[in-house]
Amino acid sequence: MTIPLRTHAIEAAPSSTLGPIPFPRLVRVEWAKATDTRAARWLLALVALSTAGMMLAPILAPTSFDQTYTSYLGVAALALSILLPVVAILMFTGEWSQRSAFATFTQEPRRIRVVNAKLAASMVMGSGAALCGGVVTAAGLGLASASGRVLEANLTLGATTGYLLFVLLNVLAGVALGALLQSSATAIAASFALPAAFAGLGTASTLVADWIDMSTTWSWVLENEWGGHVPQISVSVLFWVAVPLAAGVVRTIRRDVT
Amino acid sequence: MITTTALTKSYKKVPVVRDVSLRCEPGTITGFLGANGAGKSTTLKMIVGLVRPDRGTATIDGRPFVELPNPTRVVGTLLDASAMHPGRSGRATLTIAARLAGVPTGRVEHLLDLVGITDAAEKRVGTYSLGMRQRLGIAQALIGEPAALILDEPANGLDPDGIAWMRTLLRDFADHGGTVVLSSHLLHEVQATADHLVVISNGAVVAAGRLDDLLASSTILVRSPDPVALAAALQAARIDYIAGPDDALTVDISSGRVTTEVVAGVARDHQVLLTELRRSETNGLEQLFFSLTAAKAAAPQEAAA
Repeated sequence: MTIPLRTHAIEAAPSSTLGPIPFPRLVRVEWAKATDTRAARWLLALVALSTAGMMLAPILAPTSFDQTYTSYLGVAALALSILLPVVAILMFTGEWSQRSAFATFTQEPRRIRVVNAKLAASMVMGSGAALCGGVVTAAGLGLASASGRVLEANLTLGATTGYLLFVLLNVLAGVALGALLQSSATAIAASFALPAAFAGLGTASTLVADWIDMSTTWSWVLENEWGGHVPQISVSVLFWVAVPLAAGVVRTIRRDVT
Repeated sequence: MITTTALTKSYKKVPVVRDVSLRCEPGTITGFLGANGAGKSTTLKMIVGLVRPDRGTATIDGRPFVELPNPTRVVGTLLDASAMHPGRSGRATLTIAARLAGVPTGRVEHLLDLVGITDAAEKRVGTYSLGMRQRLGIAQALIGEPAALILDEPANGLDPDGIAWMRTLLRDFADHGGTVVLSSHLLHEVQATADHLVVISNGAVVAAGRLDDLLASSTILVRSPDPVALAAALQAARIDYIAGPDDALTVDISSGRVTTEVVAGVARDHQVLLTELRRSETNGLEQLFFSLTAAKAAAPQEAAA
């Protein structure tokens, strides 16, 4: 062997001179891990494509959609809410399904910091996706007005904030499911089945519809209709995000990596 | 320095690791030897915090692994070469490790070169053979310039050249003052690589010490034309033995109670003729291993290789 393994002798206890891994570095690495594989890039491309595709709906079917700025933005929001949670799920379940947890948790054994870094990276991703959704919306509005249509320019700061929150809530729901279920297939299936199941239950029970069904409560967020709905929205966020995420964090910290 | 104290772990009430205490000094290579399912991997995973022990502690340089601020800079680990994201290239895998560890990314190229996978660096890990993954895993373990290495079955999947290369690398690492722990179920692999040995069977340590000491003085070989009478005589004297090939019996003398003189005296007292009575040869690691783990043979196969 001609290549020296080390250029100097190994000294005792170098650990005392080293600080912990800075949190921004953890976030950057988690961001890289979420975007550097072929599968992840295809999925992100699919998110963009599906958003652009769905934006054609209000353009091609003007009678079925309000011809307003917020209505177009709402289409982008709904489009993003389909596949973006899957990207968030894979950020968490990939560690277990692809078994990279071995490397991740030996490099940073304080697993809560890894979870927090993934959360931060997922919020960056959600914000970026929301921005892309905004660009697609602008393009859609441009196309619609170019075809001679008059659109109501009703976009307010509140509506924009509601749009961003809606996208981030959907990402967070994916994060929570991924952290809790720790299996890509199970979590993705659950992310489609559970909201549909509760929407179905909502047709039978107004209690479920008003307090848990995210297609009702989170559309209030999207449509900036907070008045009188804050308790319901809060309960549904607890149900879909806070509780499963807390349980998922505990499970992630305690789980044996085998 | 890597130490463990009475590490114990059960899965679903089945004990997998029982009271395992180790002490691995800088400058040495400790071979952790045991059959598949003996508890080697689980022990190593408990040392690095991937598995929570039911009882017991493990420390690296006096601190639990999970309290090391940036563990990669202190101890490099390779616990499962197949546990890498298949969709990422070898270089990307190493780059992520380098960025987390906070070492210059130039070290990635150096290590790719060192482990001999530069030509395959852009290929996805999913296309790698097990031997290439082991090499990548070694590079990953070395990325943070650690002072210790913990490697689970590092020779798995390597060709003879690769195994020789790995031995040289680990010897060099230890000679520079590094601490190495490696596990193996292959006797000759451990014999050729390690200078200290810990034998684990059925989740418990059954022998530990310097390889030379364990091999030199652990057993004596005794042979008689009438092995049945000899066995009966030893039993009567409460001396444990293992029946070996060619009617020879092997007696464990590691406790110090039994010597060649004692055995000769027992044979005289029972009027058994001896034709051979001597220390076992030093290539007796296999014999030692089988004798120490003989109890394991009857026990049910346990989970967690």
